[in-house]
Amino acid sequence: MRRLIALALLVTAAVLVRRTMALDAAADLRDTALAFGFALIAAALAGEIFERMRLPRISGYLVFGIACGPYAGDLISRSMAVDLQQVNGLAIALIAFVAGLEMNLARLRETIGAISRLGAAVLGGSLLLFSVLLLAGWSFLPLPEVPSLAERAVIAVILALLVVSFSPTVSLAVIAESRARGPLTDLVLPLVILADLVLIVLFALLLQAARAVSGAAHEGDVGLVALLSWELLGSLAFGGLMGAAFAIYLRHVGREVTLVLLGLCVVLAGVGQALHFEIVLASLTAGLVVENIAPPEGDALKHAVERGALPVLIVFFVAAGASLQLDVLAEVGLVALVLAIARGGALWATSRAGLAWSGLPAEPGRLVWNGLVSQGGVTLGLASLVATEFASWGPPAYTLVIALTALHVLAGPVMFRKALADAGEVGKDE
Amino acid sequence: MSDPYGSDPFRRSHRDRSEIGRDALDELAPLRPLGIWDVVGRTRAALGLRPLTAPALVFVPLGALAGPYGAGIVSHDALGSLYPVMSVALAALGIFVGAALRLGTADDRRLLAVGSLEALITIGVVAGVCLWLFRAWGLQLEGPWSIALVLGLCASATSAGVARPEDPLHHQTAMRIADLDDVLPIALGGIVLAMVTADTTPMVATLAALNVGVALLIAAAGWLLFGWTHDPDQRTVFVVGIVALLGGSAAYLGVSPLLAGMVAGIVWRHAPGGVDAIIGLDLRRLQHPLVVLLLIFAGASAQPNLLAVWIGSAYVLARLSGKMLGGWVISRATPTISPADLGSYLLPPGVIGLGFALSFHLVAFSPGSASVLTAVAVGTLVSEVLAALALLGPREES
Repeated sequence: MRRLIALALLVTAAVLVRRTMALDAAADLRDTALAFGFALIAAALAGEIFERMRLPRISGYLVFGIACGPYAGDLISRSMAVDLQQVNGLAIALIAFVAGLEMNLARLRETIGAISRLGAAVLGGSLLLFSVLLLAGWSFLPLPEVPSLAERAVIAVILALLVVSFSPTVSLAVIAESRARGPLTDLVLPLVILADLVLIVLFALLLQAARAVSGAAHEGDVGLVALLSWELLGSLAFGGLMGAAFAIYLRHVGREVTLVLLGLCVVLAGVGQALHFEIVLASLTAGLVVENIAPPEGDALKHAVERGALPVLIVFFVAAGASLQLDVLAEVGLVALVLAIARGGALWATSRAGLAWSGLPAEPGRLVWNGLVSQGGVTLGLASLVATEFASWGPPAYTLVIALTALHVLAGPVMFRKALADAGEVGKDE
Repeated sequence: MSDPYGSDPFRRSHRDRSEIGRDALDELAPLRPLGIWDVVGRTRAALGLRPLTAPALVFVPLGALAGPYGAGIVSHDALGSLYPVMSVALAALGIFVGAALRLGTADDRRLLAVGSLEALITIGVVAGVCLWLFRAWGLQLEGPWSIALVLGLCASATSAGVARPEDPLHHQTAMRIADLDDVLPIALGGIVLAMVTADTTPMVATLAALNVGVALLIAAAGWLLFGWTHDPDQRTVFVVGIVALLGGSAAYLGVSPLLAGMVAGIVWRHAPGGVDAIIGLDLRRLQHPLVVLLLIFAGASAQPNLLAVWIGSAYVLARLSGKMLGGWVISRATPTISPADLGSYLLPPGVIGLGFALSFHLVAFSPGSASVLTAVAVGTLVSEVLAALALLGPREES
């Protein structure tokens, strides 16, 4: 009851402030702190309510973002939603860093072969299935007619890749906020990260193929492999360096760890973005180095992560919710829904086949596909590249992917949290 | 008032703390200031020198060197992206001021009145002298009245030192007056900033009322949230969110985050449940980084130009005169408790003065406000040096 009164007071304050002073859309950053504070508290309360309903907190943050965002309640305006996204890089870096901390290479060495086989089955099978499906059902898709079969085939494979793609960020966030630990967590964590890396490399190659068949290739493209190597190897080196520096700090100074951790993530995100590194990979490597090469003594880092991660996660998912374009969902929602159901089926079937091939135990392996349902930033990032690159079919494909991501970002965390609960792993990392 | 590096307002509250408050206070003990200050303090103590306690002397020049008018390491864009953080930092400063405000005894109230009178004298002297000098020098300023008033407010702030029970009564009183002389200027600052933002008198009144009203609403919500949250991680979320809301709502309205924070601090100090101790625990973690960031930001925002030099000269001279006059009047009015050289105790400017200039710049964002910020930044450095020269006796600050 007290929380509800507090929330009512805060909503009253926010409404009072926004009604009194109407900032124009191009206003400066005056509304950022207001949006941040309001989102943080109100979403935290929404997350609490969701947790009581045995749903993931992050779904509460997302739903709150949607409800208060510019497409619904408009308590968080469009410019506020954009301001909130400033925290995205930091959040992604933090989530990946935490994932790296959870990955013990000595433990992983025994299962990495089997996990790779499972990933290959899921990724290869789903990609093949969707490529054929999209090519066959082209006329049902909200896409323009493409006369060349070769071009249509390449587009179908790119679209299939976008449809199949996963969100390591959301999956890792569900694990972090559920404080999950166990065989299913250990399976999903490396699987989703490996799959993400393979997808990014595949996407870059497919993009090159699409350029070639559409006649859009240019001289600079020969550097694609070099660019990709820079992105991947550079990320590994940069993340390793930052992780080593942080490990030294933890060992020899060990003070203000929360702030230094957040500072590290800001550097990983900011410098990584500036140098075109893959933020997830760099941050994951940093976490891996800390955990596997110089593991910290005591609980200082654990407390720092718990203290620092929650506010960042909340704002990240509220921003994601507030930025979900609900109007797009209304536009192509039906096609997206059919694709989402087909995707769920494909993930379920290919993971079953992959389990048999990999030799991993069926329990809790049969639940692994739930951890792959979420989609998010990676999918949208790749789709926006397509929209920019290919003027004819890129924008409608982007619209379709937005709708699909909206569905998966809502359903994915709920399904994965339930799977973790069914496997008895929720709260085991206390 | 209490410099954020100074006495800790959250260490009191031994009478009314709840179970949660006791936990929070117990956790305060291991928290210590930044390591660098320990090193500097130890080194200086080993050399027989006074502890180096004016962070402005270090971080403002550092900001100026790194800023867009220095080496360019901190760009204009980077400064722009820090604006929201600055309003939050100012609100946090305000909370410290409000949470330290004791009004329980007649002595407390009397000292608040004395401190406010001294601040009023300083504001009057500085604003008057600056206005006169602006006219005498023929400076073309947009809104000279508001600039003079803001300079007066900046000048009135004092960085308080620590008074120990074994110190003489006069010393303790001087420290307490220095501790309390920011309260009235922060309240007046709320009105001045509303005047800068709004065009009409009713709008000024509305904004000033909203500055306080919205802060009261947020403070009440904070009290309901912190007081009954046992999970420390969730409490941190609430504390960060509430401070961001205090600073953010003030920034959105174009009013004073310092006033919003102070109102909330006062509410939490007097609310049951030891909420001030609870929020103090989390705020102390943010305190040093926020103050350092604020000082660096102020230094980096400083734009060296002729106008700032003129305003800065007027500011330093007028502040010195104002503080000495204010101290003299108060020591004559309360000879039994105040030291005769009270003025010299009131010279260290601390962070709050810079906070006023920064609030003005965030709201007005004009060449004039940039010059005021530059002038106050330079004036703060000069005043710190003057204070060090004036206070020859041993005077330890925390």
